[in-house]
Amino acid sequence: MRKLLTTTAIAAVALMALSGCSTRTDTTSGGSSAAAGFAADSLIGVALPSKTSENWVLAGGLFEDGLKEAGFKGDVQYAGASTTVKDQQDQISAMVTKGAKVIIIGAADGGQLGTQVKAAHDAGAIVIAYDRLILNTEDVDYYVAYDNFKVGELQGQALLDGLAAKKPAGPYNIELFSGSSDDANAPVFFNGAMSVLQPKIDDGTLVVGSGQTDIKQTATAGWKAENAQSRMDSLLTSTYGDKTLDGVLSPNDTLARAIITSVKAAGKAIPVVTGQDSEAESVKSIMAGEQYSTINKDTRVLVAQAIDMAKVLQKGETPEVNDTKSYDNGKKIVPAFLLPPVIVTKDNAAEAYANDPKLSPLTK
Amino acid sequence: MSADTSPRGGFRDLKKIFGAGSSNLRQFGILFSLIAIILLFQFLTDGLTLSSGNLINLVSQYSYILILAIGMVMVIIAGHIDLSVGSVAAFAGIVVATAMQEWNLPWPLAILLGLAVGSLIGAWQGFWVAYIGVPAFIVTLAGMLIWRGGNQVIGNANTVPVPDGFTTIGSGYLPEVGPYTGYNNLTLVLGLIIAGAVVLVEVRARRVQKIMGSEPAPLWVSVIKVTLLVAVIIYATVLFAGGRVGTSFPVSGIILGVLVLFYSFITRNTIFGRHVYAVGGNKLAAELSGVKSRRVNFLVMMNMSILASLAGMIFVARSVASGPQDGLSWELDAIAAVFIGGAAVSGGIGTVTGSIIGGLVMAVLNNGLQLLGVGADRVQIIKGLVLLIAVGVDVWNKSQGRPSLIGFLTRKNKTDEFPSEPPAVVPTSGTPASVRPPDNPS
Repeated sequence: MRKLLTTTAIAAVALMALSGCSTRTDTTSGGSSAAAGFAADSLIGVALPSKTSENWVLAGGLFEDGLKEAGFKGDVQYAGASTTVKDQQDQISAMVTKGAKVIIIGAADGGQLGTQVKAAHDAGAIVIAYDRLILNTEDVDYYVAYDNFKVGELQGQALLDGLAAKKPAGPYNIELFSGSSDDANAPVFFNGAMSVLQPKIDDGTLVVGSGQTDIKQTATAGWKAENAQSRMDSLLTSTYGDKTLDGVLSPNDTLARAIITSVKAAGKAIPVVTGQDSEAESVKSIMAGEQYSTINKDTRVLVAQAIDMAKVLQKGETPEVNDTKSYDNGKKIVPAFLLPPVIVTKDNAAEAYANDPKLSPLTK
Repeated sequence: MSADTSPRGGFRDLKKIFGAGSSNLRQFGILFSLIAIILLFQFLTDGLTLSSGNLINLVSQYSYILILAIGMVMVIIAGHIDLSVGSVAAFAGIVVATAMQEWNLPWPLAILLGLAVGSLIGAWQGFWVAYIGVPAFIVTLAGMLIWRGGNQVIGNANTVPVPDGFTTIGSGYLPEVGPYTGYNNLTLVLGLIIAGAVVLVEVRARRVQKIMGSEPAPLWVSVIKVTLLVAVIIYATVLFAGGRVGTSFPVSGIILGVLVLFYSFITRNTIFGRHVYAVGGNKLAAELSGVKSRRVNFLVMMNMSILASLAGMIFVARSVASGPQDGLSWELDAIAAVFIGGAAVSGGIGTVTGSIIGGLVMAVLNNGLQLLGVGADRVQIIKGLVLLIAVGVDVWNKSQGRPSLIGFLTRKNKTDEFPSEPPAVVPTSGTPASVRPPDNPS
C-alpha cells in the first residue's frame, strides 16, 4: 500500500513540475483597449443569427469578402436555425478562445449574450453590436446600425402618404403590426411610427379598427410570417366583415407579404401596407402595385461601416460615432454610428436600387 | 478462479484498469473515442482545445446538458423517454426570472422556487406515466407543448433579465483567495482533494478485496491506474486554475460534479437505483420480485423534471436572461448523450458515467468544430452522423458478442486457452458479482 502511495505521489509531483510555470494572463485592463491597436492580420470574429432572412445571408458573404480585402483573418459564423441563442453564445466563446481582436455581433437575442460579451471584453477584444443592440451589459463598445427610430417615422409617414393618395379624405381604417418582442429594435420601429401616427389617431383621421394599439397586442413572435398571417386572418374576421381596411403598418417586408396574402385569401382589396428590408419579393410586389412601400437599408453600406470601424480600431484610433445618447442598453449608453434609411415606393424604386445588382433589374 | 485471473498476466491484467465486466469495457470504448477526439482536435486547432480558456468554456457551455443527461439516463434505464426537458427548463427559467424581476425575490429563494416548480411538473408527468399508464413518450410530448406555451405566456415571449447574484450558478467561478500563486488557489485545492480521493478509493478497494478474501489485481495495475487518473486530474487542475485571472473552475461544473457523484451512488449502490434497472430490464419480473414499479417510474420522471429545472436555471444564469427560445432541442442533446454513452433503447442498460462521457463526446466535437470555424449547419450533420455511428457500432458489437475493441482483442487471446469462458460466473476482479454491482466506478 505504501508503495502505491509513494509511486503516485512521485508521479504527481513530477507532473506538477512538468506543467511548469503559470501561463496565467491578467488582462483586467478593462474598458476598450483600443488605444494600443493590434496586428493588421488579426482575427476578426463575426457572429450572425440564423440564415432566416436574405439580409443576414447577404451580410455574411459581404463580411467574408470585406474582411479578407482589408487584410484581416475573418471568422464569420451563423447560428443554427433551431438553437440560435446557444449556438451564438458558443461561437462567440470560440472566437474569444481563438484570440479575435474585434467581435462583430448581430445578436440572435440581444438580452442573452452578457456572459460571452464580458468574456470577450476581459480577453481584450472589442465588441461591436451590428444592427441589433446587445442589452444589459457594460461590455459592448460600439453599435452600428441604421437609424431605426427614423425607419419607424418613415414607415408612419409612408402609410399616411399612401392613404392620402388612395382616398383624399379620412377617416381611414388601419391596423398595426410590430416585430418580435425579444428584438430590441421592434419597439424602436413601432415607437418611431407611432410618433407620426398617434396624433392622427388622436384627431380621428386614423381609426384602428380592432382597437389594438399596444405593442404587446401588435407583436409578431419571432418575426414569423405565419404569426402575422394568422393575426391578420383573425382581425379580418373579427373586425372587417363589412368595413374596408385602408392601411396596415407592417414593420418589415416578410410580414407585409404575409399580411397581403391574408387579405387576398379573404377576398378583400389590398390596403396600403408598409415594409422594410427591400427583400426581392417585396420589391416585385411594390412594382406590381400590391405592397406600398419598403425601406432601403443597404446591407453593403452597413457591413462596410462595421469593417471600417475594425480598420480604425486596428490602427489604435477611436472610430467615429454620431449618436452618444439614444442607445441605452440598460447598463450603459452605447456609442452608435447610425446610417440614414431611405423610403422606397413604386415612384423612386428605380432610383433607389440603381446600384444594387440584384434589385435594379426588378424595377425596370 | 486463479486460472482465470492471470495465467499470463500482461494484457488481461491491464484491462482491469477499467474494472471488470463487459459494460465497463463498453464504456472504455466510448472513453477511448473521447480521448481520440480530444487529441484530434488538440492537433487540428494548434493546441486551442486543451487551453485553459477553452476548457473552462467547455464546462460552462455543456454542464447543463450533462445535468440533463444524468436524469435522462435514469429515465431511459427505466425504459422511458422524456421529451419535455427543454420546455420544462424554459418554463422553470422564466418563472424564476419573472419572480426575481417582478417580486424582487432574493435569488437563493428563487432557486428553491425553480426546483419546486420542477418537482411539481415532475410529479404531474410522473403521475400520468406511473399511475394512469400513458406512455412517457406521449406524456412528455404533451409536456413539451404545455411548458413551452407556459414559458411564452408568463414571459410574453419576452427576454427577462436576471440579477447579478443569480448569474453565479451559470457564469460564476471559484473565487480568488489566498496568496498569489499564479493559479486559482481554490481550484488547485479542489484538484488535490479529487486526486487524493482517487488514491484513497483505490487503496480502500484493495483492502476490502483482501478482507473479502478475493484476489486483487496485481499492485502494478493499481499503480498505473491511479497514476494515470491522478496525472489527468492534475493536468486538468493546472489548466483550470491557470485561466485568465477572474476565471477558474466554473461553479456550474462543481454542481455537475456533485450531481454525478450523487447519482452514480444512487444508481449503483442503493436499493432504489437497482430497482430502476430491474424495472427497465424486465418489468414483470421486477414486480414479481416485489419491486414497486409504479413508484420507481413516478420518482424517475419526477427526478428528471427537477434536474431539468436546475439545468434551465443554470442556462438562464449563464445567459443573464431567460428567453423564449431557451431549452429548444435540449432533449435531443441529452438523449443523444445517453445513447452514445452506451444505454439501450429497450431499457435496463446504461450508466451515469457513460452518459457523461457520451455527453462530453458531443461537447468536445461541437466545441472543436466551432474552433475550426465549421458552420452550425455542418456541425449538425456531423453530430447526427456521430450519434448514428456510435450507437451503430455498439449495437453491431453486441450482436457479434464483442463488447468493444479491447474485448475483441482479448477475446482472441482467451479463446486459445479457454474455449468456453463463462464470464458471468467467474468474476475477473475483486469482489464477487453478488457483492459488487455490474456497473463499476471509474
